[in-house]
Amino acid sequence: MPPARASAGRSRLLIVAVVILVIALIAVSAYALIPKQTAKLPIELWYNNSNHYGSTEVAVALALQNSIASCGKVQVTLKSDVWTAYKTRWTQQQMPMFLLGWYPDYFDTDDYISPFLAISGAKSEGSFYNNSQVDQWVRDEASTSDPAIRADRFAKIQAALVEDVPYIPLWSGAAQVAYVNGVQNVELHPVSYKWFIVNKPGATQLNASTSDHIIDLDPASAYDFMSIEVINQVFDTLLVYDAKNTTLLPGLATRVPTVANGDVSADGKSYTFHLRQGVTFSDGTQFNSSVMKRSIDRTMRLDLAGSAAFLLYDVGALRADHLAGNSATGVIDTPDPYNITFHLFSPVSFFNQLMAFSVSAPVPWNYNPSGKQPSTVGSVIGTGPYVLTTHTLDSLVVLDKNPTYYKPNLYAVDGISSVPVMNRVVINIRSSDAALKQDIETKTVDVAFRTISPVDLADLQARQSSLGITVKLGSSPQIRFLVFNVNLIPDKRVRQAIAYSVDRGAINSLVFLGQATPLYSMVPSDLPFASPVFQGRYGDAQCASANALLSQAGYAIELQRELVAVARDR
Amino acid sequence: MARDGSLLAYVLARMALAIPMLLILLTAVFIVLRVLPGDPILALWGGHTPPQPAIDAARQQLGLDQPIPVQYVTYLRNIFTGNFGLSIGETYRGQSVWTQISTRFPATLEIAIGGMAVASLVGIPLGVLGGSNRDKPIDLAVRMFGTIIWVIPIFWLGLVLQLVFGVWLQWLPANGRWTGADTPCSVPSSCAVRTGMYTVDSLIEGNLGHFVNAVAHLILPSVTLGLVLSGFFAKTVRANMLRTVSADFTEAARARGVPRRAIVYRHAFKNALVPVVTVLGLQFAILFAGAVLTEKTFSIEGIGILLLNSVTSKDMTMIQGVVVFYATIIVIISLVIDVIGAMIDPRIRL
Repeated sequence: MPPARASAGRSRLLIVAVVILVIALIAVSAYALIPKQTAKLPIELWYNNSNHYGSTEVAVALALQNSIASCGKVQVTLKSDVWTAYKTRWTQQQMPMFLLGWYPDYFDTDDYISPFLAISGAKSEGSFYNNSQVDQWVRDEASTSDPAIRADRFAKIQAALVEDVPYIPLWSGAAQVAYVNGVQNVELHPVSYKWFIVNKPGATQLNASTSDHIIDLDPASAYDFMSIEVINQVFDTLLVYDAKNTTLLPGLATRVPTVANGDVSADGKSYTFHLRQGVTFSDGTQFNSSVMKRSIDRTMRLDLAGSAAFLLYDVGALRADHLAGNSATGVIDTPDPYNITFHLFSPVSFFNQLMAFSVSAPVPWNYNPSGKQPSTVGSVIGTGPYVLTTHTLDSLVVLDKNPTYYKPNLYAVDGISSVPVMNRVVINIRSSDAALKQDIETKTVDVAFRTISPVDLADLQARQSSLGITVKLGSSPQIRFLVFNVNLIPDKRVRQAIAYSVDRGAINSLVFLGQATPLYSMVPSDLPFASPVFQGRYGDAQCASANALLSQAGYAIELQRELVAVARDR
Repeated sequence: MARDGSLLAYVLARMALAIPMLLILLTAVFIVLRVLPGDPILALWGGHTPPQPAIDAARQQLGLDQPIPVQYVTYLRNIFTGNFGLSIGETYRGQSVWTQISTRFPATLEIAIGGMAVASLVGIPLGVLGGSNRDKPIDLAVRMFGTIIWVIPIFWLGLVLQLVFGVWLQWLPANGRWTGADTPCSVPSSCAVRTGMYTVDSLIEGNLGHFVNAVAHLILPSVTLGLVLSGFFAKTVRANMLRTVSADFTEAARARGVPRRAIVYRHAFKNALVPVVTVLGLQFAILFAGAVLTEKTFSIEGIGILLLNSVTSKDMTMIQGVVVFYATIIVIISLVIDVIGAMIDPRIRL
């Protein structure tokens, strides 16, 4: 090789070596200078994005994400889906942590416990919590009316809840109503809003609006808030709630069955109701024990898709199996027209509450025996204070006074001499919560009931005097909570850590403008046996405690691998 | 006679073509709905979950326990025999699909007609003005109006109009289709025919108070929808006017001393209208599927909200029913457009 060419080759080699050296130096410097990310526990937080829980859900998810992530050791990824897919996902165990809500069927502590912590209930609600001891305690409390035993079992169950953390209770909702000044008897009842006690002095017609929709007015089918609301005005049940609280009063029955008065058997498996005589449906037909039995059998036999029939045959223990059809011979006994006895297959301590639920409302003998009854005027027939006189789908409901209502003095003890108070109630159904606000702002209606957004509600509250309206907030039986799929997040220390880091105050102030009530047990505070167990154990936004749990022996890194493995498997 | 016959043959051929189109559409909808994630049956009970036998019974009641091919055949048979079935979604659970569609369609039709009327009254004259005054200030103003109004979010415009005229001034009702308990023709004996369109029904029963009530509720949604559409109308008409104003036949008319006004309105405008009618007609058809944002803003329960709620709850029977209904409407309106086009432009009939 000539010397000149050899020299040029060496120069090229030198240039290449220098370039490599410079690149290596840059890489090393960058590695040293760029801050290293510490390992964080990655968790998905799911929420519903199709307004199943209203328009605030994304804000709730963001507030939760922020409160958990701000502690520094958990990386929360938000994910969402429409309700149909959402429910499928939790059933198929695709969501490790998700937001859920609950509205009770019957106003008993059991309805805030068994659907979540009994083994079958926990599977349905997506936590897959499986604790046979807790399951036994749930069976114990559900089968006895002895307050001492129930108190003991509920205390033990709530202690297990706070230790194992399959759920984190977050807040209970606020019932809300806005009405024009002068309207009276607007009671935010914990179970059912009673239109038939509302009074507008000097008028015969009450105009109202709501953004809830009616799905079905057949008691055998209805299982949504507004349908049940209307049913509660048009139909009646054996037992009814007091005008202002959850005390059960006689309705179509003449007294409330108890062990003391002999109407409940000592083993808690037989309930006898003595029926009021001379009661007629609004079509003029008679109400008696045969009609009552036929109504209950009809609901169980039809077992309509999406209905609450299972509350009778499964929760209410009126059937020992899940075979279709009427109750077995002898289960519902009607010895005469005015007595009816239910023989349950297992003791149900809250059976009276089930008999106060709309699914137990008697319907006339000629109601469709093989399918659901149409929800049209003339086909919706009950014994309640009102009669349905107009029903335009998703737009308008008009209720007129039932001239044959059997018990106008129902709430005389509460100072309401005769119900229904107004001759006519007109309920406009709106498509949005903004429309409700406009309705009450312009006084197009006298009462706007459910659901005004927190921002609009705060605005109306601030302008109550100038608008001449009253905004009333009350406690709602609805609870909201986080669910952990314990199979996807099996280490309870992780769940406990997140329980420490959740900040209910931030959710309440940021999303609900202080209108919600922080919740520290799955049982709301106004129910018997409620104990705010999460408050004492975890409090709110306790990052130090949360991080201490997560930091134990490099735990977060191990868990991260575990979750990645789970994700890869799926 | 021969010309009429050819038009009839054309109409029949178009109708025959609609059948395979409908079949393809139905099949696509059927497949898509079953591929999408989510089980509508599980969602029927909201956040509650009944025992498994109750879920199985529901699946059986609604025919969803059958193999997919059997479901498909049943579905087609039902559709072509006019049986739209019952809703299987959470929002309209168990309700008749046809009842929902037929109850809501009059509301949608009313705001569609109202919106089209406003859009035509505002958009077409503006388009003519702009097209016949090319590059003049008035043309510039029309172009700006067309662009700005067309891009305004319809719900925002609706909310502003609601706030101003419904809440602040309280000149017009802000929400719904009706105020009061006695909707038009609610007493069956008061009307020989009931259309469900409150404006029409109140005229049928001869009740002026009811008519005013119905029209008052229709004004804000119609103006909202119409104003937004008028931008599109103005731009479409203007573009076609520009084409016809400079066409040979208008030049010829001008050379013969025909007055400008007559050239614009008798020759240019009429010829510009043919493609405009096609576009506007299809826009009208789209509105039949529901002006969902307008309906939502003004709490009018029409087809748009029905479709929206059905999609989010994966209500397969309801979605299928609405799609069939909508497809039928499109076919009918397309035919009507063609006939109108033929009436405006004689060449089409040749």
